[in-house]
Amino acid sequence: MSQTSSSVPTPVKVVVGLALFVGGAFLHSSWHPEFYKTLEGQGVPLDFGITLSAIGVLLFTFPIIDMFFVKPLQAALHERNSALETTFSEVEELRNEMTTMKSNYEKQLAATEADAREKINSQIKEAQALRQSVMSEATEKADALVKQAQEEINMEKNRVLADLRSHVTDLALAAAEKVVAENMDTDRNRKLIADFVQQAEVAK
Amino acid sequence: MNDLSKLMFHLIASGSEEAGAAGHGGEHAAHHATSYWATMALTGLTLLVIGFLLVKAKSGFTNRTFRGVISQSSEQLYLFIENMCVGTIGSHGRKYVPMILSFWLIIFFSNVIALFVGASPTSVLSFNLGMALVSIGYVQYEGIKSNGVFGHFSHFAGPKLGGPLVIISAMIFVIEIISEVMKNVSLSLRLFGNINGGHQAVDAMNKISFLPLGELLIPIKLLTCLVQAMIFCLLTCVYLSLVTHHDEDHGHEGHGELAAAH
Repeated sequence: MSQTSSSVPTPVKVVVGLALFVGGAFLHSSWHPEFYKTLEGQGVPLDFGITLSAIGVLLFTFPIIDMFFVKPLQAALHERNSALETTFSEVEELRNEMTTMKSNYEKQLAATEADAREKINSQIKEAQALRQSVMSEATEKADALVKQAQEEINMEKNRVLADLRSHVTDLALAAAEKVVAENMDTDRNRKLIADFVQQAEVAK
Repeated sequence: MNDLSKLMFHLIASGSEEAGAAGHGGEHAAHHATSYWATMALTGLTLLVIGFLLVKAKSGFTNRTFRGVISQSSEQLYLFIENMCVGTIGSHGRKYVPMILSFWLIIFFSNVIALFVGASPTSVLSFNLGMALVSIGYVQYEGIKSNGVFGHFSHFAGPKLGGPLVIISAMIFVIEIISEVMKNVSLSLRLFGNINGGHQAVDAMNKISFLPLGELLIPIKLLTCLVQAMIFCLLTCVYLSLVTHHDEDHGHEGHGELAAAH
């Protein structure tokens, strides 16, 4: 874009161009060789004055077009391309940044998930241990209560049996008094009472 | 418009022939003077039109997207010329874009103006010869700048031949020099023939009947305007490519191929 086609300064080109233009006009007005007519007769109209002036016009036109139009156009195109490249690089940077953020976010998400999973597992284990502990404690308490209840039942049963035995004895004695009073055979009656009591215990 | 066309055409193209037929030296000189100043006036008109369009185009170079049809067209033209230069000459061809673009603008707008006024600088052989001399002169300058004086002119002798074959190299050298000179003639005559021939054809067809039948040739002439500008610029690029290629092997082969294509 910055390449130049010639190292000749523009003012020099313009001055040389103008000089050639004037020289062409002078040549045209002062030089009329015979071969002009010959060439015209052959359908090739030639005038070196016009040629020289044309060269002069082109010499000062080229740098003017270059300086006035081509260079601004090149600068505008360069500026536009630079702006586009900057925009593209910014977009690329933002995309990279977004990719990095996405990657970080995914890592954070994975770490959070792992942490949460670990905590959940830990809580589950803890709950299971607590459950085991509570269950064993409850079982122990239940066993103790059952044992205590059995002991109380046995004691109550023994007491009730003793009361019953005493009551039965009293009844038996009362019955015996009546029987003795009737039979007067005390030993034999007592033996009968004892047998009765024995049978009553067996029956219980 | 038709009268103006006839006037310009006769001033430039036919004036000298009429003077020659009259056989009077003074009248001949007077017609020549008219032809000269008419050509310069048309050149000035062409440059004014180009200048006006470039000012309009330049005013649109303010935003990232160029505003206006002329600015956008000028950008497309620049890119077209740049592609032509880079495609034909190579990556170093970008530095020739200003000159080729200037040639294109002058030739194309000169040709287009001729569609309205009936004559143009490019319908004058002497003007075309001036453009061709600038083009070929610049090509020689670039060739000497790239290869040195000896390298540039030794290139005209073709491949190095030893012994008695040196005579062939000498003959090739002479032929190549003639060929270089004749490039000026071919560039100028081609443009002159096409543009002036178009005007002559329109004039001849207009004389057939009272209807301006010659105007039917306008589409073809418009195409000629475009094609001739492109051919002149493309050939200049080809000539620049031939003298600025530094690869020796490719240079000799490419020279032959391009010369054959030309």
